[in-house]
Amino acid sequence: MRSFGAVSAIALNTFRETVRDRVLYAIVFFALVATLAGLVLGTLSVEQDVRILEDLGLFTITAFGGIIAIFIGTNLVFKEIDRRTIFLIFTKPIKRWEFVTGKFLGLALCILVVCFAMGLFLIAIVCWQTLQTADPSVSWTTTLTNTLIPSLIPRLLTSLVLMYVELVLVIALATFFSTFSTPLMSMLFTFGLWICGHMTDSLKALGELSTSPVVKVVTNGLYNALPDLALLTRIRGEALDGGNFPIDLVSGIGAYVLLYTVLLLSFATVIAERREFQ
Amino acid sequence: MTETVIHVQGLVKDHLSNFLRKRFRALDGLNLTVRKGETYGLLGPNGAGKTTTQKLLLGLLKPTGGTVQVLGYQPGDTRALARIGFLPENPYFYAYLTAYEFLDFFGRLFNLCAAKRKERIAELLKLVSLTEARDRPVRKFSKGMMQRLGVAQALLNDPDLIFLDEPNTGLDPIGRRDIRNIMLALKEQGKTIFFNSHMLPDVRDICDRVGVLHRGKLVGEGEVEAICTSGNYQDLEDYFMDLINTAEEEYRKTGGITPYHIEREGVR
Repeated sequence: MRSFGAVSAIALNTFRETVRDRVLYAIVFFALVATLAGLVLGTLSVEQDVRILEDLGLFTITAFGGIIAIFIGTNLVFKEIDRRTIFLIFTKPIKRWEFVTGKFLGLALCILVVCFAMGLFLIAIVCWQTLQTADPSVSWTTTLTNTLIPSLIPRLLTSLVLMYVELVLVIALATFFSTFSTPLMSMLFTFGLWICGHMTDSLKALGELSTSPVVKVVTNGLYNALPDLALLTRIRGEALDGGNFPIDLVSGIGAYVLLYTVLLLSFATVIAERREFQ
Repeated sequence: MTETVIHVQGLVKDHLSNFLRKRFRALDGLNLTVRKGETYGLLGPNGAGKTTTQKLLLGLLKPTGGTVQVLGYQPGDTRALARIGFLPENPYFYAYLTAYEFLDFFGRLFNLCAAKRKERIAELLKLVSLTEARDRPVRKFSKGMMQRLGVAQALLNDPDLIFLDEPNTGLDPIGRRDIRNIMLALKEQGKTIFFNSHMLPDVRDICDRVGVLHRGKLVGEGEVEAICTSGNYQDLEDYFMDLINTAEEEYRKTGGITPYHIEREGVR
């Protein structure tokens, strides 16, 4: 109970810090503009305007959500040390794991709110575009009850949830690096791993193709160590196409992300435990 | 017998330089005891090791050698920290929070319930004369207001032991007087106060006992009243300067070579 109080206090403070940062609103503004650009791009396609809007919108939310996660996440702990507010925190009866977890959860909550707002915007313009391009002889209520509510909105929501799950991993990476590295280096490490995480399939294929046992071991090691974001992207694509997922796949993804996040935060805690604050 | 609140025995702290990893001894065999209800002032020139000592006592730094007990626990133990208040030197606060939010955040870290936090924050804002500014963002605070807010956060948990690192630095005479009055009120309440300062007149008014650090070594310690009435010194400043000058002379005589250098680096 005491730990819950400490973690929630730090999470709330981190959330306040991030939502009161004007840079966040600038990033969200550009994300919304980029999403709207899907309307223009859609007109260039042949009857694929809604799909382009969906794809571009989801990509925009992932990219801008990732940018927020990396920029803010990599500064999370560093800023506390640099501004010496850490002296006030670690002289209170809190444990280092509570601090690390609170920081992570605060940013995760902020990204959740941002993704929710951008996701709602995306769903709204996708619905609007669907109604615009629907057969004029079909009433809008019929389109709403036959297409939007049973199919399109659930597909988008599932994709948005999977996208947020990916961002949770990025936040965990950023939090981990921020406990021991400068923001610039942390940004490079986190961004690098985020990109590499999307190439795990290629790494595995490379290892299988190679005849060198060293390359096989290295690629296999990297494949196991890197966050498997390629899998998440693949499933997200299937979700957008209306695919159904067995419950064991959903729980498997949940367990994987949870385990990976807990491991990263545990390493971050160990580093924070060993650190001295001069 | 009066209860010992801080007990330090043979405390050693080495810092490593960032690039060449060269070892520098910041504290060298410090022995110190602070009793319950006492106001102890740790004095010394810049770089003497005063802040390092406080950080070691609070668990922000780890000792290279020696033993430390604070309120009967190892430094950094959450059971001790729950009874400690701390104001760092030149504190920076979360600029995006209001004074109330700032204190509420730290009240949560002390696990105070909502009603208790509300009551305690109102009391403390009144004590440090910041009631009017409770909803103002901290970034709009003056240096003196910041320092007073820092004192308020250090008292949130009604601590038994209070650490203050240069609480008067950068304050105008009115700000200094306010902080001094708060410290005197705390002393009257029987709180144990351990503070570092350069402001010797304030130390004279507040402290029961002082220790003087020079290049990481405690070169003198005594009761303020005894020092000022012994007739050996004109005032506390005279005592301080005498100890520092003697220690510096001694240091120069040895060419800056201390027993540490002899033991570690084989310097003769």
